[in-house]
Amino acid sequence: MRPSYILFFIILFFFFVDATLFIHSQRLEEELRSVEKIQKIAVSGLGLTDLCVATEARYTRNPAVSDPMAPFMDHPGALEHFPTGSFWAPEPIKSFR
Amino acid sequence: MARIPKGLEKQFNVLDFSLSSLWRRKLKNLGIMLVFALVIFLLGSFQMLTGALTNSAETVLENTPEITIQKMSAGRQEAIPLAYKDKLGSIYGIRAIIPRIWGYYFDESHLANFTVLALESDSMPSGDKLNLTLSHGHFPKISEPGTAVLGRSVYDILGLGKRRVFSLFKPDLSLKSFETVGVFNRETDLLTNDLIVMGLADARDLFAIQESMVTDLCIYVANPTEIETIAKKIAGLLPDTRVLTKSQIQKTYQVVFSWRSGFASICLLTALVAFAILAWDKASGLSPEEKREIGILKILGWETADILAVRFWESTLVSTFAFIIGCTAAYIHVAFFDASLLKPVMVGWSVIHPPFKLLPSVTVADLMLIFSFSVMPYLGATVIPAWRCSTVPPDSVIR
Repeated sequence: MRPSYILFFIILFFFFVDATLFIHSQRLEEELRSVEKIQKIAVSGLGLTDLCVATEARYTRNPAVSDPMAPFMDHPGALEHFPTGSFWAPEPIKSFR
Repeated sequence: MARIPKGLEKQFNVLDFSLSSLWRRKLKNLGIMLVFALVIFLLGSFQMLTGALTNSAETVLENTPEITIQKMSAGRQEAIPLAYKDKLGSIYGIRAIIPRIWGYYFDESHLANFTVLALESDSMPSGDKLNLTLSHGHFPKISEPGTAVLGRSVYDILGLGKRRVFSLFKPDLSLKSFETVGVFNRETDLLTNDLIVMGLADARDLFAIQESMVTDLCIYVANPTEIETIAKKIAGLLPDTRVLTKSQIQKTYQVVFSWRSGFASICLLTALVAFAILAWDKASGLSPEEKREIGILKILGWETADILAVRFWESTLVSTFAFIIGCTAAYIHVAFFDASLLKPVMVGWSVIHPPFKLLPSVTVADLMLIFSFSVMPYLGATVIPAWRCSTVPPDSVIR
């Protein structure tokens, strides 16, 4: 068998794997869409402003509304004390002040 | 049987030769491909995870309060007087002003940070449907002081089991007891996992906040196109406050999860650069054996273009397969294993571990970005040295 035919079968294998993952992503999207309705009720009913991703520091739990002084309090480029702070970029100037 | 066109047949032969050549040096090529795939896997996983979180935040948080007002003093946030509510009465277009208390409660025995939230949920939009977010029970009513609704992780960390009563410390270290009247359901974990929701009076008692104070005011406007105008009016009327609009809150999320601005992305880019150096070193430094092979091929009548075609096919196969394997593994990692390798970086020292049931964000733009960051430099690093070698006289190479 020519080596290029073997290559063709390998490509076909990856095509099937990725096609299966694509179908999976469509199903997952549908599943998550049904959950979204409940999540939106929680957000509007409780006035939530953030996702509950990192709860180790007060400003990583509610970055949009928490104390603007806490993260990057030394200077805007300072490395953060908390590990999740490495994900957090200095927030944009967002207040009307 | 249909005959393959001559030009295509030649490319097939070149491809066959390239594959045999790759197989001859399988250890080296497989090694490079796996390391390459690993770098792409890390970059891809990071991008898919942060993209998924940003998408989730964008979709879910479109119902956040339209304007949030917080009082600032010495650059820090402090309690806002309820009297400010009356000052805003003169602004036309405000539909509702809802006072809210939220803060953090650090549980010293479990080292966990809980978020305490208190507001009159009946006056909030969708407030009447809030019970749908609970797996059982109901939201605290004004007539039920000392009751609370808990996020699932809070419920687990407090170890309530079948008990319904728990106590939290007040600032003077006296205990305040609460009765659990409901627990949030699994579907809202991404938002409510660390929440303790209670009535305003209970929150004031717990945090020792004066009767006339709250932490912020949520404002809803009649016409959404007027949010910015009303926010500016509020900022003018209450100069000691920070006025946050919904779009600003959403923008924060576009920034915080942006991998291009995170420190972790710098680490990943460093890995990519390290790989580029490795690839350059491995691929560009043609061994004497490879140089001799090129020389022999030229003597046999191969043209420079043919030799370049072989090198191009070799590099394309290695880098494209690394790209496909890396991206496929990244999707599987985020979708099926909840991004378990990146999760420790995302949650840091958090005691409350949020669920990461997210749809990996796969966009053409991101794939192109990863492709151009990884495959293109590799092609350049391998084809250019081969071109240099194939242009020198063959007798000087094989001698």
